[in-house]
This record gives sequence, C-alpha cells and structure tokens, in this order.
Amino acid sequence: MELRHPFITNPRLTIFYGIFWLIASAVMMLILIFSNGLDYWAAFVEVFTSILVFAFIGASIWYVIRFSTLENNSILRIILAHLIAASIIVFIWMYLNVILVKLLNPQALEWMQKGMINKIFGGYLMYVIYVIFFYAVNYYFSFKEKVRNEGKLIALVKEAELHALKSQINPHFLFNSLNSISSLTMTDPAKAQEMVINLSQLMRYSLKHGQHEKVLFKQELENNKLYLQIEKVRFGSKLSPVFDIDEKCLQLNIPNMILQPLYENAIKYGVYEATEPVEIKTVCRCNEDFLQITIKNSYDPNVISKRGEGIGLRNIRDRLEIIYGNPHLMTLEDNRKEFTVTLTIPQKMN
Amino acid sequence: MTEKLRTIIVEDEELARNLMKSFLAGNDKIEIIAECENGFEGVKMINELKPDLVFLDIQMPKITGFEMIELLDHKPQIIFATAYDQFAIKAFEHNAVDYLLKPYSKERLLEAVSKVSDRVQKEGVESDVAEKIMNFPREGFIDRVVVKDRHKIHIIPVDNIRYIESMDDYVMIYTNEGRHIKQKTMKYFEDSLDPHSFARIHRSYIVKIDQINEIQQYEKESYIVILHDKTKLKVSKTGYKLLKEVLNF
Repeated sequence: MELRHPFITNPRLTIFYGIFWLIASAVMMLILIFSNGLDYWAAFVEVFTSILVFAFIGASIWYVIRFSTLENNSILRIILAHLIAASIIVFIWMYLNVILVKLLNPQALEWMQKGMINKIFGGYLMYVIYVIFFYAVNYYFSFKEKVRNEGKLIALVKEAELHALKSQINPHFLFNSLNSISSLTMTDPAKAQEMVINLSQLMRYSLKHGQHEKVLFKQELENNKLYLQIEKVRFGSKLSPVFDIDEKCLQLNIPNMILQPLYENAIKYGVYEATEPVEIKTVCRCNEDFLQITIKNSYDPNVISKRGEGIGLRNIRDRLEIIYGNPHLMTLEDNRKEFTVTLTIPQKMN
Repeated sequence: MTEKLRTIIVEDEELARNLMKSFLAGNDKIEIIAECENGFEGVKMINELKPDLVFLDIQMPKITGFEMIELLDHKPQIIFATAYDQFAIKAFEHNAVDYLLKPYSKERLLEAVSKVSDRVQKEGVESDVAEKIMNFPREGFIDRVVVKDRHKIHIIPVDNIRYIESMDDYVMIYTNEGRHIKQKTMKYFEDSLDPHSFARIHRSYIVKIDQINEIQQYEKESYIVILHDKTKLKVSKTGYKLLKEVLNF
C-alpha cells in the first residue's frame, strides 16, 4: 500500500483541499465581520490563525490514520492513538495561535483567552472531521487499487488459461502423442486406449477449470501426473518422475494450471535433450501458512546454452504476485547441472 | 527388381520407430540397416554405413535433424519427419523435399518411398537434399553452431565464437578453445548471427564485437581491429562504417 501522503501523490486532491479551506476562511471572515462586528484585520488574523493553521497542520493527521488502520488494530488502540495525536495537534495549534495573535494583533489576546475552552473543544472537533475525511480518502484509494489489481489478475488468468490450453493442446505435444497412439494401436491396443483416455481427461481439466482461480492441490497434482503419464509413453525410461508429497498438503489450495508450465519446461530442457534417464523430482511440504512445491530436473549444460526466465515462468511469477501481493513466491536455482523451481503458496489470505 | 534401398531410421522416440518399421515391414524396396536414437549416432552411422535413404526426425535430443545434415560426409536421399515445425515445413516445401507429418498413414509413407526409389533409379543415390536444406535461411538468430572434427561432434554456443574467417567453400570458426572448420557460407553466418553481437568487418571476417580491443588505422583508407588476444584482422571500408555504427564512435 501507498506510504506517501495522498496530497503528494494526488495534486488534484491537494488543490480541492486548498480551495475548500479558502472558501471556508472567506465565509468565516464575513461572519466575523458582519455578525460579530470585528474589524477586517482582526477578522483576518482570527481566521488565518485558527482555520488556515489548522488546515496546514491537520494534513499530518493522515499519517495517524495510515498507521492505525481499521483492519489491523483493536478499537482501543485506535482510540488511544487518536486521543494522543489529537491532543498533540490541538496543543501545537493553540500554541501557534497564541504566538501569531501576539505578533499580528496583540489587542485580541484578551478576547482570545476568554474563548480558549471553546476553541480547544473546536480543535478536537476539527480533528474528528479530519479523521473521517482521511479514512474516506484512504478507503477510496485502496478501493481503487483493488479494482486495478483485479483487472490485472483477470487478464493474467485469461492469459494463463490460454497458455495452458495452448500447451495442453501444444501442437508438438498433441501430434507426437497422436503418433504414439497410432503406433500403439498396432502393438498394444490397451495402452493406446489408456493414452486416448488420459489425453481426453487432461484436456477436459483445462476446459473445466478455466474460470476458477484456485483448486485443491490434489486436483492440480493429479492433472499434472496425467500429463507426465502421457509424456512417459513417448519418452519411456528417459522420463522418470519422482514424487515426495506430504499427504496433508493435498487438501490445501493452489491457483489452477500453475504447475504444468513447470513440468513442460523440465521435459523440454531436461528430458527432451537427454539420452539418459532424467529424474523430475517434485517435493511438497506444508504447514498451516504455506504450501511449498519444489520441482527439480537435471539437464545437460553442454546442449542448453542459456536458461533465463522464459515467458512460462514469468507468467507464473506474475500470477502469484497479483494473487498474493508478493513478488518473491517463485524462486529459481540453476547450478548448471540441475534446474530447481520452488513455489511458495500462502494459505492465509489477508 | 533392382536392389533394395539401404535405409537408416534416425528417430528418438521408440514408438515412432516401431510404427515406421511396421509400416515398412515386408516392403520390397527397403532394407533397414540401422536405427539411431539421436543425432550424434545418426551422423556416425550415416557416414560409416553410407545408406541410400535416411528417415530423419527433425526434433531430436542433442542436435536437431537440421544440424545433423550439416555434419554428413555422405549425402544420401532423405525423407524428413516432423510433428509440428512451421519452419521445417516451409523449408521442405520450398525445396520440394519429401517429408512426413506425424501422425502419417502407411499409404503416405509408401508414397514417399516410391518417389525416392524412382528418383534413385533415374539419378542415382547421391542427393542434394542435405545441401538445399542446409542453406535455407533460418528464422531468427542461431544460438549455437554444431561442428565435427575427425570423430567428435562439438556444440559451440555462439557466445564462445571469437571470429569467423572465410576459406573458399568453408569457414573457420575460432573459439577460445581452438578452431573448427565448417561447410557453410559467410553469408549464412552474416544472416544468422545477431548483428548486435557480431559484425562482418571484411569479405573474409565476421568478428564478435565484444572481442575487439582496439581499432587502428593501417594505411590511408584502411583499418585493422586488434582483438583482446592480439589477433589482427583486416577491416574493409564498409566494415569500418558498420563498426562505427554499432560501436557509436
């Protein structure tokens, strides 16, 4: 969330704020002159010292709001914080008032002392109005940010869906699988049938879960096992998937279709280029706050020239950042022998 | 009946090999003399056994079918096979080369075989297919070059290239480790290497830009570049202009 003052980030708001207080000051001056019978200078000094000075120091009340948000603090703490802040601000305000009146219009001092209690009360009242105003501003800004993020999220999910669809129906994957099936129909029809069924199930999953944001880790894992099974028919002993899954993680949540691009990469860079068996190891651990998934594959550094963060990996990072608001949920490790991707999926949403 | 075509299958997937073999089983035009699971093996077997026909998969581990044909001393007839590779298909169509799209039918395979068989009877076993495909311009920039000296195949990442020198029909590729000869044109490398990293500074030289240490005036209108390892290379007038452009001086 934004830490800078809204008056700094939003000049329009600052201008409105200024105009509002100038009009209020003008009205106040007219009242003082015409109904209380003050002379122009006295009225000006009064308005300047009480209203404009408060408008100036009052802007700092935003920071009190910012650090005692309604969501994260107990009511008692919030009230206490505001009470202390209000007293400090009213004290500073009164102090400046006295000094400025002494300097500009000493005759008014006596008149001022009489109205002291009223004025202090007025100061507290102004403080309350400010608090309401800034809470509203704050709420409005975070609402706007949320709307913006949601839009981004929808776009990214759309893209991931499309990508998942495209990669599950990745022409390479599809045509090679069909060729394998064509071969199996002659040598092992039962296996050919199994592969057709697996392929259908894989595609059905991507169509069915397109719209939802999260699924059970169990579902996502099963779907990816299906994918690996199909690839296993093609690659035979070259592809050796190993799973080390903590049973209790299966019921946790995970954004859908977030794992398949990782397995695709592991196959593309690890298995495809290999002539020896390549292990793709999936390790999953969790506690009540996090689900952590590590996918590791070995590869031949002589064949793969460079491996940065390709589009597939970047999409995953972006999606996690948008959903959980943290850019560090995916980590990559490449020691020129093994490539490791670790995803950390928070389970508690704030 | 003429002699059977001595055939090698180069295909990394066992199921795909099985399919092809079962389609060809009992065929009176084909005799399968070897099967290879990857490009390294393919190069070795083709150069050794000198087959009449090769079935060649494009997407293979280690080196692709395209890279493979660059390394052949013996140039047989080739029928390519690919699942989905837009560039490959373009290259095949453009050069009227036989190819199979996976999954293919038995009829389609036999049709390709008959065509090759007819051609062999008319024109002989030697084929220019490899040549044609080899020099078909790539899309985008290459990131590695595959070379063979004596019996070993090297995969050179383009980042390791220092400079390339033309030698008639060949080029000599100089890397930090040594030099490798390759049967390709300078034009091919000029087009396939990223111009942000490589510059054709002379009819005979392409240099990796970050290898240049110094550019010296040599005579009135001619220059030389001196690389970090003190190698001196001639720069032509156009080459000098190009260097000025990329290096901004």
